Amino acid sequence: MDLENKCVLVVGSGISGIASALELGNAGLHVYLLEKEAAVGGHAASFCCKATDVCSGCSACVVRDKIKEAVLHPQVRLLTNSTIRKLSGELGDFRVEITQQPRYIDEERCIACGLCTEVCPTEPKAVYPPAAEATPFSYILDEGLCVRFKGEKCDLCRQSCPTKAIEFEVKAKEQELSVGAIIVATGFDVFDAREKGSLGYGRYPNVVTGLDLERTFSREGCLKRTPEGKEPQEIAFIQCVGSRDEGHGYCSHVCCKYAMKLAGLIKYQRPDTQVTIFYIDLQTAGKGFAQFYEEYKESIRFVRGVPVEILQNASGELEVKFEDISQGKVCRDTFDLVVLSVGISPGKGSWDLARILGINLADDGFFDIADPLNSNETSVDGIFLAGTCQGPRDIPDSIAHGIAAASEAIQVLGEFAGRRTGS
Amino acid sequence: MEARIGVFICNCGGGMKNIDFDAAGAKVAKIRGVTCVNLISDLCLEEGTEKMAARIRAENLDKVVVAGCSPQFKEHVFRNVLENAGLDGHLLCMANIREQCSWAHDGDVTEKAVDLVKMAVYKARLLRPVEKQDIAVDRKVLVVGGGFSAVASALRLSRVGLRPTVLEKEAVLGTSSEELQRFYGFDVSSMIGAAEGDANIEVLTSARMTAAKGAAGDFLVTIMREGEEISRKYGAIVFATGYRTELALDSGLGLPAENEAVSGPKIVSQEQLFDMLNDPFTDTKPRTIGFVFGFSDENSRFPTLATLNNALAAKKEWDSEIYVFCRDVEVDSEGVEKLYREARECGVVFLKCEALPRIAVDNGRIAIEAEDVFLGEDTVVACDLLVAEELLFPTEGTAALSSLLNIRLDSRGFYQDENVHLYPVASERKGVFFVGGCRGDLDMGRVLTDISSAVMSIDKLLSSGTITAEIERVKADPQKCVACLTCIRVCPHGAVQLGRVDGGKEIAVIADLACDACGICAAVCPAKAIDFQGYRDDQLLAQIEAIGES
Amino acid sequence: MNGRIIAFCCEHSAYPAADLAGKLGLHYPETLRIIRVPCAGRVDVIHMLRALEKGASAVLVLGCEDGACHHITGNIRARERVKHCDMLLREIGIDGRPVVMFNLSPNAPHKFVKAANEITKIIKESREAR
Repeated sequence: MDLENKCVLVVGSGISGIASALELGNAGLHVYLLEKEAAVGGHAASFCCKATDVCSGCSACVVRDKIKEAVLHPQVRLLTNSTIRKLSGELGDFRVEITQQPRYIDEERCIACGLCTEVCPTEPKAVYPPAAEATPFSYILDEGLCVRFKGEKCDLCRQSCPTKAIEFEVKAKEQELSVGAIIVATGFDVFDAREKGSLGYGRYPNVVTGLDLERTFSREGCLKRTPEGKEPQEIAFIQCVGSRDEGHGYCSHVCCKYAMKLAGLIKYQRPDTQVTIFYIDLQTAGKGFAQFYEEYKESIRFVRGVPVEILQNASGELEVKFEDISQGKVCRDTFDLVVLSVGISPGKGSWDLARILGINLADDGFFDIADPLNSNETSVDGIFLAGTCQGPRDIPDSIAHGIAAASEAIQVLGEFAGRRTGS
Repeated sequence: MEARIGVFICNCGGGMKNIDFDAAGAKVAKIRGVTCVNLISDLCLEEGTEKMAARIRAENLDKVVVAGCSPQFKEHVFRNVLENAGLDGHLLCMANIREQCSWAHDGDVTEKAVDLVKMAVYKARLLRPVEKQDIAVDRKVLVVGGGFSAVASALRLSRVGLRPTVLEKEAVLGTSSEELQRFYGFDVSSMIGAAEGDANIEVLTSARMTAAKGAAGDFLVTIMREGEEISRKYGAIVFATGYRTELALDSGLGLPAENEAVSGPKIVSQEQLFDMLNDPFTDTKPRTIGFVFGFSDENSRFPTLATLNNALAAKKEWDSEIYVFCRDVEVDSEGVEKLYREARECGVVFLKCEALPRIAVDNGRIAIEAEDVFLGEDTVVACDLLVAEELLFPTEGTAALSSLLNIRLDSRGFYQDENVHLYPVASERKGVFFVGGCRGDLDMGRVLTDISSAVMSIDKLLSSGTITAEIERVKADPQKCVACLTCIRVCPHGAVQLGRVDGGKEIAVIADLACDACGICAAVCPAKAIDFQGYRDDQLLAQIEAIGES
Repeated sequence: MNGRIIAFCCEHSAYPAADLAGKLGLHYPETLRIIRVPCAGRVDVIHMLRALEKGASAVLVLGCEDGACHHITGNIRARERVKHCDMLLREIGIDGRPVVMFNLSPNAPHKFVKAANEITKIIKESREAR
């Protein structure tokens, strides 16, 4: 089947979108990889390695490999800062109108020399390097900070740029793409732990989310001291924050794994730290994970039941109120750091995108599937789902789901081409 | 003839302030073998690459060193420049003076930068081109197994135009896939019918694989079928052998091992319970049913799902009282949390216990005794029917088949090593894949994505019938190789075999398609017979030499 | 080569980790010289010994984490070889010029810097001991 000239649009460049794009590209199709942010990779790109003496199987490094492969792929065209505005047409012949917000720094020309940041007169700097792991590794110009966008005539960074990558006069770019099929891989939003007010996230500095902790480890390589300057000695993880409750009638699949692996990493780096995990049901299925659990179940304290309230005492310690079911009474333990294992919530933009694309949302807010036995297919021919926008998944499962979506798209496009040449 | 090496130094637009480029350029020019030094700003942009290509032609260079950013992201750009200028891309060597020099240190690092360029120049002297060729691949695929995942894989492979053979050791297909029809409503028998009627699919039943040679694109498989040996060529092999379950009666439940020892009450498997529920002629309606699962095996996605489905059905069909004893409910599959809620709302009682329940036969009923963690006290439930814990095991023959192909199993004996780079379906050998339950405890959603993933990978490998690959990048020297087999034993990708080149003596031959270019064979070879272009011994030693001279 | 440390870096893990360390501005001793290899399993005893022969004060072999080697067993083979090399050096009475293996992943720049600092510390301590 001749798919050489077929184009597919992949919406979202998280790990499942990347996996889809790579498979499609390898099959010889042209891929537009649309990303609303300035850098590709989504959530998974910021995860840390959780290896102790051995690999803990978190797959964060696999994400890095895949991102690199995708951005270097000759068949994959990256469109960052872009969103979909309108869709028309049908399978084999979709027309997608997209808007690309200006980034002022041409990512193809930026060579990350850093001269612009040096000359930028504002404080904090309005032009700065992206996160170390960001791809493309192109500097960012922050409209909110830049004095030029406040009416001043500053031109220093443009003057300093050796490759002429900076351009102020760019406007949002609108273009229309012609594609045969669309893969939606818009991912998830992390549950906003502020919604559970009694847990104190956002109020107490020592209550953090699992994602915060991932990023700390990515940046610092170890636990940070508390604002009081103390090395956290007593650490609690609270599971199922934003999963398996009213409004989130599902398990997020990832929290038990990341919490236990982060807990393992903390114990490995500082064995004298006391780690407690509060849980409902431990999800230990998955390749290689059972042994990991076996290894740590002695050194980590597991408490069944999730706490309802956290209070901060005068010395900055956190008092966690929970029901000790073995004693049948309410207990209070103090911790230096509490990590909320926040779950996977449907993407906030899902509703808008569903409306534009004409696909449905399921009761739980994730994109709905047409056939219960095929989690890639939507009710619209030629539009497929990949990864966590359809339901919670961990990294390996998201990659697999992304590949499966690519496979469905190729098959449908092939059959479509066959029908057309046949008629 | 002395090589003509051109060095291109990029100052990254002036971003590397702690390197004195003029001084560095002067020092580099003095390095033995350097024909010309070119200081070009923004070498990776179009303007830079054009200048670079022009210089390569003008100076008639045959090796190129680029000093600048990390090769991780820009090596392909410069390789293209070489290729456009008529040189092989492998004749490029990069010196990472940005990430690993300028950015990594404070203060002046000109000296280190020169050192790094020198290492690259010394290596570049010894570089050789690597040829590319089209390699023919066989478009037939062997699918081992005859259950759902095997048949579904074969159907998908046929749809993309490949030619699968389904190899089943039993006399008929689909013997172990009945539970799928049950819990997911899959019509496996009509799929089997479709596969058997598909001209692209060959079905070999009562057949086993007894030997396998070769590598990706070109496996030679021996199949034993009703006493007859068949030899076939396949481009790829898919394992879809599923798993088997065993009742955990002997594993500490304290029960008589045999069911018949109990006359009144019954101990059944999930499958037997399903049959009872769907038997229109039965009038047994157990008043109380106890389920036990998840104590002996951490991997209990499938038992959880089976329990929830059966418990709900029993509640609806018989209105039985249902007690489920488990440690954790494995809800990390799609829709299972909803099922769990539904079960609780219907009145199914879940008792979470840390320790395995004690089971005894008492007065014609089965007494399940356990300490429920929420109640904090011993609970005894007398049931008419006990659905015993089931353990998941790899199917018989898994270990034998894996050793035929020299692939590793995980710590529980299932297919696929626990290495994150292999997920979802790859093995350490190219062209060998695993789908479904044979690689672990998967739910149906995951099995289906496995099938798609494997079909995609195989399609990519085999669909066009040929693959362009670099050839002889890793190669054993016929003069030095003594066929000691060390490399064959250590190659993690099964890429080395004994063979003859041009009718000569038997030596180690590396299959270019299967080779993943790790160089482990080159390191272990006692005769130092294996050359790995780009990482040859002399190329590595030359870099050490360069450091030594600084 | 005064006090150079030669680090054989696997291109799947240590090499990108070193790049990331540079991007993050994490500093490590300037004496480190990185030789890129496709897998730690490519590094042979002769490479380590030659480095010492040419005057390196230490040799680092940096590979993937246990269980995450792209080539399944490359990092394990490398560790065995490092051990073997270390034994050879002891037998012939060379000490204070360590040959050490570390495991890390490509997104662990801090571990890379730690390895570089640790080996520098070992060299310094053994020098002071003499």
